[in-house]
Amino acid sequence: MNKSRFFLYSLIAIPICLLIIPTVIVLGVAMIPTGVAFLMERRKGPYGGLTVGCMNLAGASPYLFDLWFGGHTVPVAVGIITNVFAWMMFYGAAMFGWAIYTTTPSLVSTFMTMTSGRRITALRTQQRDLVQKWGPDVESVYEPEGGKQAAAVNQMSMAD
Amino acid sequence: MVRDRFTIYCDRPIPSLDMPNALAYEVADRKQEGRPLYALVCKPEMPIRISVMRALKGLEIPSILHMVDWGVAEWPPVDRKCVIVIYNRPMGGRVMDSMAGSFKRIPDHQFARMIVKPIADGLVELASKGIAHRAIRPDNLYFMDEARTKIVLGDCVTSIPAHDQPVVMEAIESSQAMPTGRGGGSYTDDMYSFGVSVLILAVGRNPLQGVADSEIIRRKIQQGSYATLVGDERMPVTLIECLRGLLTDDPEQRWQATNIDLWLNGKRLTPIQAKAEPQSQRPLRFADMEFHSIRPLSYAMYQNWDKAISIITDGTLEIWIRRGLELNDLADGIATAIKSSNAMAGGNKSDMEDLIVARVLMLMDPRMPVRFRDFRSFVDGFGQSLAVTMLRKQKLQSHTDFISRDLWRHWIAAQTKQAAENQQFENVFRDLKNYLKDPNSGDGIERCVYELNEWQPCMSPLIEGQYVMEVKGVLPALDNAAKTANTKLWPVDRHIAAFLRARYAKGTGSQIDAMNDSRPDRATIGMLSVLAIVQWRLGPETLYNLASWVGGLMGPVINSYQNRNKRKDIEKELPKLVRKGNLAELYNYLDNPEERQRDAEGFTWAKAEYASAERMIYDLEHGQVDRQESAIKSGRQMGTGGAFVIMLLTILVTLLAKLL
Repeated sequence: MNKSRFFLYSLIAIPICLLIIPTVIVLGVAMIPTGVAFLMERRKGPYGGLTVGCMNLAGASPYLFDLWFGGHTVPVAVGIITNVFAWMMFYGAAMFGWAIYTTTPSLVSTFMTMTSGRRITALRTQQRDLVQKWGPDVESVYEPEGGKQAAAVNQMSMAD
Repeated sequence: MVRDRFTIYCDRPIPSLDMPNALAYEVADRKQEGRPLYALVCKPEMPIRISVMRALKGLEIPSILHMVDWGVAEWPPVDRKCVIVIYNRPMGGRVMDSMAGSFKRIPDHQFARMIVKPIADGLVELASKGIAHRAIRPDNLYFMDEARTKIVLGDCVTSIPAHDQPVVMEAIESSQAMPTGRGGGSYTDDMYSFGVSVLILAVGRNPLQGVADSEIIRRKIQQGSYATLVGDERMPVTLIECLRGLLTDDPEQRWQATNIDLWLNGKRLTPIQAKAEPQSQRPLRFADMEFHSIRPLSYAMYQNWDKAISIITDGTLEIWIRRGLELNDLADGIATAIKSSNAMAGGNKSDMEDLIVARVLMLMDPRMPVRFRDFRSFVDGFGQSLAVTMLRKQKLQSHTDFISRDLWRHWIAAQTKQAAENQQFENVFRDLKNYLKDPNSGDGIERCVYELNEWQPCMSPLIEGQYVMEVKGVLPALDNAAKTANTKLWPVDRHIAAFLRARYAKGTGSQIDAMNDSRPDRATIGMLSVLAIVQWRLGPETLYNLASWVGGLMGPVINSYQNRNKRKDIEKELPKLVRKGNLAELYNYLDNPEERQRDAEGFTWAKAEYASAERMIYDLEHGQVDRQESAIKSGRQMGTGGAFVIMLLTILVTLLAKLL
């Protein structure tokens, strides 16, 4: 990002932030776990930050609405960020988001493994039925193109 | 029992009427009891002259033993079927008991009327029907009446032509052939044997009894037949002219029936002058003997086969023929034969030398049979010789050499007088050579024997005992054989295949080709198709034993269906079809094209299905690492999605709670 563009974005963002300063104060405190998550998972893509962020925002949303419907002032915002329960809500929700982020891959993997195992069994049964009906001559061994090429390369190198 | 009419008594033999290849037994005729008949039961190891039997059956020819009937019948002493020929019984017995026997001389003035006239008339009758007797010898002449006044010629059908003739009875050419290779012969050959018979009867005994065969031939070549046979015997003056005419060694000059008629009528004929052979002033020394002419030398070379090659290859023979006899054409022919044999024979020196000697002998004396070491046969006698050798289960190497080494072609080429039949022989032997090259069932030497012998019964060990001469007899015979045969073997062996191919090529050719397929299932169905087509076209309707036999061999055909369920269906259905005894139905069921098509298509589909499943399994098993990565990625995406949904719902619910 070049300097002129950064200056342009700052020119737009700073007045907005000044206009919504109570919201910025609440979000600044509430969304810390999201920032941490983005930092921690930055090499693994945006999903960690996004998941934690969504849940973090979901946890912060009741307090944000209180702020917005309660006058949108800095004292209300300070009141929120000094509330222990609010902190518990922000960070609890963020924790839940982290938990979702860490457990879903293993759950999906387990499910997929179970599904493929059942599929292999079904395919083997189908093959056995074919052999029983048509004899062993129907049998064949699958060798992927890559495998064949690799075998050919191996043979050539051995010949050399 | 022959033709449900003649009862043959196997416990009542008549040894005095036995033939060399047939035994004589008493016969009773159901229709005419007390009729004097006798039966000759032919030995199975000797082919017989069926075409002559068909011509002679029931035919009344004066001076020829009357053949009443013939047929094939079960013969208990040998536990097989044999050909049985029924003749009128000669009540006066044989004229001479054997060739070594003696004959009470007939007064000279009666001799011509009693012996020469009737037999000559009989031979004319036979010749008019295109039959050469080829068994004229004193011990095959009979007196029909007990008073021994009426003489007849005996049987000529129970062995191949001239097989049983002693060398003395045969002309020089024929006597050099093996007994099995003398060929059909001709009327002139009969006239020669007739002449010798007359001479023996006139003398009262065989003047050459006890003389070795080779010596008889040598003397006949050296001195001529008449001089050899008469020797020092006193011949009736009245017969000399006749005997000279009949015993002329040149077949073209030999007396025929017309000459005998003229002679009998007292007309004096011009004495026959033997054509002089070219003589050389300078003799050729070979095997410690000196030779001045070709023919004796040719015979001596044959007698001393191993020595003959030296005078051929060192040029002695060629020079002698060129300078001594001045026969340049013959010398050129010999030189060419040596050159071409050297080029043709290939690696084996001994084979090449044998071929050279055989070809040179053919050129030196073209009228002689093909002589190739121990093998001596005329081209037209080759078929019968092959049949006898095969029936006797002897080695066939000489016969296969005769065909494959073109001895027939060289013999035909050597003939100075080109007969029309030679072209026919050439065509036949060219085909035989092709059959011999083909090792498949239905061809080979077996095919040759059936092609050359029109009436040769099938020699398959399975049905040999049932004397099957016609194609329609094969299946009933096999059905009968199925009761005792080893049913693990095919019913169509090499002999049956060759027999069918030779006799019924149009009907069974493609089926026999299928039978030779290298794939066992196609070969087995081919074998079934051979039998099925014969049954379908020639019957009989049912063949229970054969169907059962064939049904048991259908394993490869059943297994050729890929579909196991179909196999089980066939195995279940097969016994029902077998019980019907119809091979055509069995074949149609087993080789149904629609079923085959369905099976093939199903198999192709199944292979594709299997391969597809295999590929999927491979993908599933080998995609473990990818799947883990994919699961993590998907899990994270799903987690994010879930979190987003929860966020939206929370915001919505909170907003609604604030608003309401």
